[in-house]
Amino acid sequence: MKNNKLIIIILLLFFGSKISAQNVVKYELTVTDTIVNYSGKEKRAIAVNGQIPMPTLTFTEGDIAEIVVHNKLKESTSLHWHGLFLPNKEDGVPYLTQMPIEPNETFTYSFPIIQSGTHWYHSHSGLQEQIGMYGSLVLLKKEDDPTFRKGIDDLPAVPIILSEWTDIKPKNVHRMLANANDWAGIKKGTTQSYSEAIKAGHFKTKLENEWKRMLAMDVSDVYYDKFLINGKNESQLLQFKAGDKVRLRVSNGGASSYFWLNYAGGKMTVVANDGNDVEPVEVDRLIIGVSETYDVVVTIPNEDIAYEFLVTPEDRTGSASIYLGNGKIQLKSRMPRLNYFEGMKMMNDMMNTDGTMDDMGMDMSYQQMDMNTVMYPEISGNPKMKMDDKMEMDDKMDHSNHSMDANQDIVTLNYGMLKAPQPTTLPKDAPVRELRFELTGNMNRYVWSMDNKVLSEVDKILIKKGENVRITLYNNSMMRHPMHLHGHDFRVLNGQGEYAPLMNVIDIMPMETDTIEFASNMDGDWFFHCHILYHMMAGMNRVFSYEDSKPNPYLPNKKWAYNKLQSESNKFHFMAENDFATNGNDGMVMLQNTRWSFGTEWRLGYHDDHGYETETHIGRYIGKNQWFMPFIGFDWRYRDQNGEVEKNIFGQANTKDQRAVLSLGAEYTLPMLVILQGEVFTDGNVRFQLMREDIPISPRLRWAFMVNTDKEYMSGFKYIVTRHFGISTHYDSDMGVGFGATLNY
Amino acid sequence: MSKSLKYVMVALYVLSITACNAQIKNKNTETVKIYGNCGMCKSTIDKAGHMKNQANVDWDKETKMATIAYDSLKTSKADILKRIALAGYDSDSFLAPDDTYSNLPSCCQYERGKEVSSTMDMSANDHSQHSNTMTKMKDNNPLSAVFDNYFALKNALVQTDGATASTSAKNLSTAINDVKMGKLSNDVHIVWMKILDNLKTDAQKIADTKETSLQRQFFTSLSNNMYEVIKSSKQETPTYYQYCPMANDGNGANWLSKAETIKNPYYGSQMLSCGKTVETINK
Repeated sequence: MKNNKLIIIILLLFFGSKISAQNVVKYELTVTDTIVNYSGKEKRAIAVNGQIPMPTLTFTEGDIAEIVVHNKLKESTSLHWHGLFLPNKEDGVPYLTQMPIEPNETFTYSFPIIQSGTHWYHSHSGLQEQIGMYGSLVLLKKEDDPTFRKGIDDLPAVPIILSEWTDIKPKNVHRMLANANDWAGIKKGTTQSYSEAIKAGHFKTKLENEWKRMLAMDVSDVYYDKFLINGKNESQLLQFKAGDKVRLRVSNGGASSYFWLNYAGGKMTVVANDGNDVEPVEVDRLIIGVSETYDVVVTIPNEDIAYEFLVTPEDRTGSASIYLGNGKIQLKSRMPRLNYFEGMKMMNDMMNTDGTMDDMGMDMSYQQMDMNTVMYPEISGNPKMKMDDKMEMDDKMDHSNHSMDANQDIVTLNYGMLKAPQPTTLPKDAPVRELRFELTGNMNRYVWSMDNKVLSEVDKILIKKGENVRITLYNNSMMRHPMHLHGHDFRVLNGQGEYAPLMNVIDIMPMETDTIEFASNMDGDWFFHCHILYHMMAGMNRVFSYEDSKPNPYLPNKKWAYNKLQSESNKFHFMAENDFATNGNDGMVMLQNTRWSFGTEWRLGYHDDHGYETETHIGRYIGKNQWFMPFIGFDWRYRDQNGEVEKNIFGQANTKDQRAVLSLGAEYTLPMLVILQGEVFTDGNVRFQLMREDIPISPRLRWAFMVNTDKEYMSGFKYIVTRHFGISTHYDSDMGVGFGATLNY
Repeated sequence: MSKSLKYVMVALYVLSITACNAQIKNKNTETVKIYGNCGMCKSTIDKAGHMKNQANVDWDKETKMATIAYDSLKTSKADILKRIALAGYDSDSFLAPDDTYSNLPSCCQYERGKEVSSTMDMSANDHSQHSNTMTKMKDNNPLSAVFDNYFALKNALVQTDGATASTSAKNLSTAINDVKMGKLSNDVHIVWMKILDNLKTDAQKIADTKETSLQRQFFTSLSNNMYEVIKSSKQETPTYYQYCPMANDGNGANWLSKAETIKNPYYGSQMLSCGKTVETINK
């Protein structure tokens, strides 16, 4: 922790006492608010025992873990033991396996350690994981373990936990995502505006993209100020010298970032994934999904040189480094920026006009064909390269996977390369339960779901003890999703037969179909969800519930608790905007969740003959893409124009002078993201309107227009200066030309 | 020029000078060694180290010493040297990534310390090996410049980079004209005379356009002629004669490569690995 001014920290004592007789290993964890400074600004974070990340907890298989949590926050908390097999009541999911640990409460987790490997732990309450509540959890093998691997399990090991930091409060990050705020894109330089598209020779691509009703594409959604390895952007481990082999136990504790791992001292050997041993495989680089763990062995090749272990988020907006060894630092070259327009073109080819994905018969699975490769300059070369038409795409498929992963100099790990050292087959005579989930999503409204349903719209999924559960997952959304199952390891049917690798997180890229299976041998309720924190909070979750489970002493009223859990991931998001212009005030407030929208818009002049008007709509989004929203509305307006009567294009009269009417209407998002609105008012008038705001002209310049059958029209520009502030100008048929400042929240 | 305009210009000039001088606060100045060769290195080093209002670097190509001035509250010597190393230049605290170093223009490839070259062996990759052999070939083969530029052209086409391909083809043209035929052995000379005109025409035509589809058409015959030459001349390391049946509108086409791994110059990333080695030229 950089700022140790806080007196509280002194109070935090770290007890790690081992009582070997009973084999109980006990940790005391005290959770406190803290102030950190990662980016040059002081911000609130959460520390455990005064540190970020939380302390590394180490156990040996056969121990009994006893972890005492003291919550000194002003909010409730919880700790989830990611990847561990344990009794359901110790799993640490508030409202599913226990009640939240309230402020000033102490809660003790206690469970036997019955496995080994690299795992991690984190808060499962709200968005606490984003601001510090993540830590490494290392389970050692016993030395007489028959699976003990000489030359691997006896190497010096370093726990490495990756994370990211944003200066924006995670709650606001989530709110901005739900409101399709493109500030993150501006900060990352990924607005993909028309001017940028024209410069890159991709005007048609951008046009087609908007025709298919897609917003700017990206591999991740949040802008982060800093990336961290064990809480630091840069650090060095001096204890290693030439010839040493080091096992890095890497956990991705990031809330929403996938990370590339690269090493300056040669190849890396992957020896375990999600805490499970795999047959060693040598690679040049690998991507670690959110919440996955990988163990990699690296070598220090030379004396007096420290080698950089470079961690780069998938969007390549920064990096974090740890240098292994002592002496001059051998750097690794930085990963070049992504060719976004190539990605956009690829997306266009794969996207049907109805918003579903078309894999063009490629049967993608297990990360073996990474479509994002078109965006990687280090593999696909110059950004000007043209992605060919569909005909040639088909040709390409004949050449199968080798042509997609084109640069064969760079060996990138994929799930197909992972193989368990021992057979992992499930009980043969158990009944098989087949389940299928389609991963679905709506980027524009940041709704993420399974089979188009969020957690608050589904019941628990009942499974029986003794079944083999086989799940087929198909990703029909535009983003990749790291799907995590609590309390179980599943086999990933990647073509390794009996030796299918075991995981508890599976990353599924867009259009991939992956099959996993596990033996149901537990009891209680287990969460199954996308581990991108903001996707989880958007409702991309399910619960597997064992039939006839024992009651959970920590959760007396399970039905009530499940309702709480459901509402946690379907909260309302607030947004507000007002343009303080020379000709009046233009603004809106909106409150929305997964399906519902409550919104009010206003146009307030400065004097009576410009008038005042407001429109309030309460609507519900329908369908997977949420392009359609029927609503009921209320309009009120007042204007002093001496009773002048206006006629709309249908010949209906309307004074506009004073009107208070109810309405029934609907909005539909047309290609090019233009919103068509039709409304019938209680006075019999009908109005149709076309509108689009936020047409990206340049990285920060937006164009808006509106035209309707009341012969009203508006056109305006806004230049985005900061997250909450813009400069605007517009022409309005009622109020004329105006210049102003737009504030938004 | 009117008088007032002159005043404005003088004012602007004075302003720009003050702007330059009022750059770095909390200034700390140090001299450090940075490995490099030439004037081109200097501009890369100075640019990589520079950061507006925070750091300034002035490298001397004779002494290999750089004067770095920086705002000690905002940045550090390590930050500056790290940026310079990431641009390809070693210092006593940071070593440049191997691939960045080998992508430096050949005039900039300064001699690296012993420990660095052994790193390169550890991470043995085709790039470092083949750039090393290239420099060796240059010494004793009068055609080495021609071959080097041919491979540069081929690599540009693998990347589907029309602009670089055009530049490489231009260099190839120059290299072809500069070949000292007196130094060619008799056999090579005969082959050379036979294909010289075609070689020149193809290289020129590739240089004249930035459209990779056109360049690739001429590259087919260029490669066939180059094959004749390379087959007859002496090679330090093997060259691979490779073939893709789909190129050239399904008629198939060849190319030469220093690496055995297929990287198809006719399709770029579309079908980078389409093709096979049909002959290994080893003399």
